[in-house]
Amino acid sequence: MKHKQSVWITGLFCLFLGAMALLTLLLPPKKFSELENRNLEPAPKLSAQSVSSGRFMKDAENWSSDHVVLRDRWVQLKALAERLSGKLENNGVCFAGEDTLLRLVEEPDETQVEKNISAVRGLIDKTDIPVRFGLIPTAASIWADRLPAGIPTLDETAWIDRLYREFGGSTLDLQGTLDAHKAEPIFYRTDHHWTTLGARYAADVILEALELDPLREEELQPRTVSEDFYGTVYSRAGAWWVKPDEMTTMVPEEGIEVTSNFTGKEEPGSLYVPAHLAEKNKYAFFLGGNQPVCVIRTQAKGPKLLLIRDSYSDSLVPFLALRCSEIHLLDLRYYRLSVPEYIEDHDIDQAVVLYGLSMFLEDRNLYLLRR
Amino acid sequence: MVFSTPLFLFAYLPVVLLLYYLAPLKWRNFVLLLASLFFYFWGERIYTVIMLASTLVDYTHGMLVDRFKRAGNMKKARMAVASSMIFNLGILFFFKYWDLIASGLQSLGLSFVPVLGIHLPIGISFYTFQTMSYTVDVYRADAKVQKNLITFGTFVTLFPQLIAGPIIKYKELGEQLDQRTCTADRFAAGVLRFTVGLAKKLLLANNIGQLWDICKGSSSLSVAGAWLGVLSFSLQIYFDFSGYSDMAIGLGKMFGFEFSENFRYPYVADSITDFWRRWHISLSTWFREYLYIPLGGNRCSKAKWIRNLFLVWAATGIWHGASWNYLLWGLYYFVWLLAEKLFLGKLVNKLPGLFRRLYVIVILLVGWAIFALEDFGQLGRYLAVMFGLGGAPLFDPLAGYELRNYLAVLIVGILGSTPLAADLFRKLPEGCRTWARPVLLVLGLALCTAYLVAGTYNPFLYFRF
Repeated sequence: MKHKQSVWITGLFCLFLGAMALLTLLLPPKKFSELENRNLEPAPKLSAQSVSSGRFMKDAENWSSDHVVLRDRWVQLKALAERLSGKLENNGVCFAGEDTLLRLVEEPDETQVEKNISAVRGLIDKTDIPVRFGLIPTAASIWADRLPAGIPTLDETAWIDRLYREFGGSTLDLQGTLDAHKAEPIFYRTDHHWTTLGARYAADVILEALELDPLREEELQPRTVSEDFYGTVYSRAGAWWVKPDEMTTMVPEEGIEVTSNFTGKEEPGSLYVPAHLAEKNKYAFFLGGNQPVCVIRTQAKGPKLLLIRDSYSDSLVPFLALRCSEIHLLDLRYYRLSVPEYIEDHDIDQAVVLYGLSMFLEDRNLYLLRR
Repeated sequence: MVFSTPLFLFAYLPVVLLLYYLAPLKWRNFVLLLASLFFYFWGERIYTVIMLASTLVDYTHGMLVDRFKRAGNMKKARMAVASSMIFNLGILFFFKYWDLIASGLQSLGLSFVPVLGIHLPIGISFYTFQTMSYTVDVYRADAKVQKNLITFGTFVTLFPQLIAGPIIKYKELGEQLDQRTCTADRFAAGVLRFTVGLAKKLLLANNIGQLWDICKGSSSLSVAGAWLGVLSFSLQIYFDFSGYSDMAIGLGKMFGFEFSENFRYPYVADSITDFWRRWHISLSTWFREYLYIPLGGNRCSKAKWIRNLFLVWAATGIWHGASWNYLLWGLYYFVWLLAEKLFLGKLVNKLPGLFRRLYVIVILLVGWAIFALEDFGQLGRYLAVMFGLGGAPLFDPLAGYELRNYLAVLIVGILGSTPLAADLFRKLPEGCRTWARPVLLVLGLALCTAYLVAGTYNPFLYFRF
């Protein structure tokens, strides 16, 4: 190596380290990562106590990793490098066929699952109204033919069968319906949720179970609301080369009154909140995103339905609103009070517990069902 | 602190380099000493005291040995050496092996020794060996006594090699500690070496390591999957360890030091004896110089020689961690090395080159299984599957998938553990290399940063050493 080149290389290295250090330190810190949809580590607090316990060091390491300048770009570069090196997955997401990103599901923690299923069973004992239970398989299960052979992901069919057996009550065959329509875009290619179309087929299963009339095509008015939706699976995989998803609605909002509750106070809500279409997390367009309680009142003649649910129900509710007079949505991650009492207080006629399978396996709040 | 973290790369290292080069020459050891203590304190906090105590004790012992020798009192000098060894081996034994012995005794029904649940201070196996070598070197007149406590402290705590080696003997570093030159040529060579090491760790070792975790954790392991697993572990540990050594050597150069090499493409060895001349060289030479030769080496009766070999390999094994599988691993190599020296070596030498290498690889892979699996039950089951016992299928879909998933990385890993790439690079005309170096450097740093920032998988393999 010639001396001139040594000077060059020394300069390049110092420039890289110095620039990364200074830019990271000087640019204003971000509090939230839109791409990853999570709060970033706050600046570590220096104190004698935090240093002697090692807390400070750990926090500083997390902080420095969360706030590296151009963090999102580095994450995407890693995803590209993995893809180019022939990897079939990155960060638990498979680069599947047909430009689809599929989140793989890991083996669950048995004891948590047992707690969850017995909590759902417990709701039957605590209330007199009929309770139905539905588990939604993930896209990785319905679109398993897009996955490479042998890829490790949970056998969701076997798990749903087992959980339905252990539940013992009336269950919803969502798996069968979604399977029958798997040639259609019933899941997003870049998000873990079902599409509006997928929710529409699921709504038929639920309405049938509730002995309500099925949906009629003429009631539905498909409308595209966004053509550049990049969902959670996209963020997780960092796979920026994938095409965005299209987001649609099928049920017009007229005559439907939504009462939301985002911050502990009741406020007028809406089935669709177009403001969220301008953000990264566009799925919050449906009902405005996560909230503990949400009540939908309609002009339809039908039962008062309680839906114990996760975010899959956000896009499902418009269809149920065509047949139910009231729908009460409880999200147990945020609603921390007794469910049987809620049923009593609001004169509920029917209850449905509806979860995405991967959410259900990991959920830690279902015990509230029988409190 | 670990090298492969954003905090080290983008905060600690630039600040320390800046302070070091701003400081006047005679202050530089002091800057390095403070920086190294901070580096160690960051991860180990109160245990920094042990390192400081070790520094003081060995500094004093070095002075004593020197004084007794000057006074012609060799007996006292020997006693000072012995006292230093007792201290170093004492803290090493206490922090590393106490719990192993205590729980071993308890499982035999002897409960008079309590299990203390001691946390192993990182790097203790490395720095106790380094400080021990110092008093011996002074005694043997291989090194001059170090009268400057700051300089000696710099030797013990020197952060580039503090937590994962190479094990640097005082006699190699003594003169450099007192006087070394920092030039752009040396710094640039250090930059390239460090980046190679970082890439080995982040792009290869961490990557392939995930494959080992998958195979190890698989409930339906097949014969093919088991071999794929140990292959991936052997690549992980090589790139991890040699990557750390490269980073240490590279950082050393940036601060003006020349450390000795620790690895010479061990996986192209054509005998087990050859492998151990290429793998973790600083450890093998340490045991050779400070244990094997003092015991008499091979210049004694055959029985004694075999005993010496046995002791060295038992010690080498258990040095790698306080768990019986490491002892087994050391003795496994004792058996092969003894066999090679007695008769096997001559037989193997008659084989064509390809078969010689195959023989080495198979022995190494089985060895790595012993090394990687601490639980004997699990180890037994794993080895059984490797050799098709116990009805394991030859192949399973998971192994097929993972092979496809990791194929390119494995090929790069296998080729990367041979001298091929380095040879090719050397054959390029200098004009080409002049272009290639900065391009590869920037590409390497960018990819490493990407994997560093994106990856939560960054295991530290040496917490047992």
